[in-house]
Amino acid sequence: MKTRLLAHTPYEELRDRFPELGWRQLLPHLAYTFAVEKISRACSHQLVRHRVASFSQQSQRYITVKRLSERVVTPPTVDDSETFHELVEKASEAYQGLVESGVPREDARFVLPNATETSLLMTMDGAALFHFYGLRLCNRAQWEIRRLADAMLAQCRAAEQEVFENAGPYCYMLGYCPEGRFTCGGMAEALERYKPEGSP
Amino acid sequence: MKLELVAHTPNVETMIATSMLTTTSGAQPSTLYDRLLSKPEKVREVVGRAEVQHGNILEHNRMVWMLEATGDEVLEATLDTRFLTFTRLGETRWLVSGNLRAVVEYAQSRKTPLTDALAASVKDAAPNVHGFLEDKKR
Repeated sequence: MKTRLLAHTPYEELRDRFPELGWRQLLPHLAYTFAVEKISRACSHQLVRHRVASFSQQSQRYITVKRLSERVVTPPTVDDSETFHELVEKASEAYQGLVESGVPREDARFVLPNATETSLLMTMDGAALFHFYGLRLCNRAQWEIRRLADAMLAQCRAAEQEVFENAGPYCYMLGYCPEGRFTCGGMAEALERYKPEGSP
Repeated sequence: MKLELVAHTPNVETMIATSMLTTTSGAQPSTLYDRLLSKPEKVREVVGRAEVQHGNILEHNRMVWMLEATGDEVLEATLDTRFLTFTRLGETRWLVSGNLRAVVEYAQSRKTPLTDALAASVKDAAPNVHGFLEDKKR
């Protein structure tokens, strides 16, 4: 997995031009575009549930998936699983066979697993991005999207520390855990992990 | 009514071209973006095909405007389009933002002083997209 913040609105320029607005009021007017590369289709399905965002994703209608076994995301829990790797091999053979027999890619792709790699361009406004971080940096989030959110936040903090030192999982932003009885119990550790560099 | 574009994301049309090619080429989006940054002719050619694509390719950017308008004028705009964001700064001063898709679709659906000003404001940031809007007027 790889992510890179390609472009964003110039926060400091807007802050200086409109000093009556704080960073929180400017958030809906800010936008951040990321290249998100080599995540699984399972992860991209989770990403697109964040509807206040824009996505341009590699299309399996136009792009042939070559050497599937080299283009899958393997969860650590199944890394040693023969079943997983055998199934990927079988899916790869089935997909290639269908494409070579003339089945359109848009139909052959139905045999591809959720583990298949994909890349996309994603743009979120600042408010939507804070909500994304609140949910997906939580200890209860799924590991791949949480890893992605962590990498995205690091890039945002490097670009606009003043705004993004305020971003983290919801427990960090709210001062309490909103997960109720599902709480991980690790709020103190999360606060420590996401506190800005140099703060006590 | 007075509208001024005060900020926008950089390389708007390079991003449109990156978005278009991401969906159909096997290259990674960051690689496409880096390549296209040094190829303005390629960007022009790709963006020239943008009219036949999904509108979402126009969404990977943000334009921020300062608007001087009455409350009634802003109410009319908010009833016309759901995709512009408004923050009130004073009696007749507003901070407005949205992406190019919002501008293009609003300008193509309504002819008002605001839609004319919005379309004109993107001329430098997105000259080819601005060109489509001008062609449609003719």
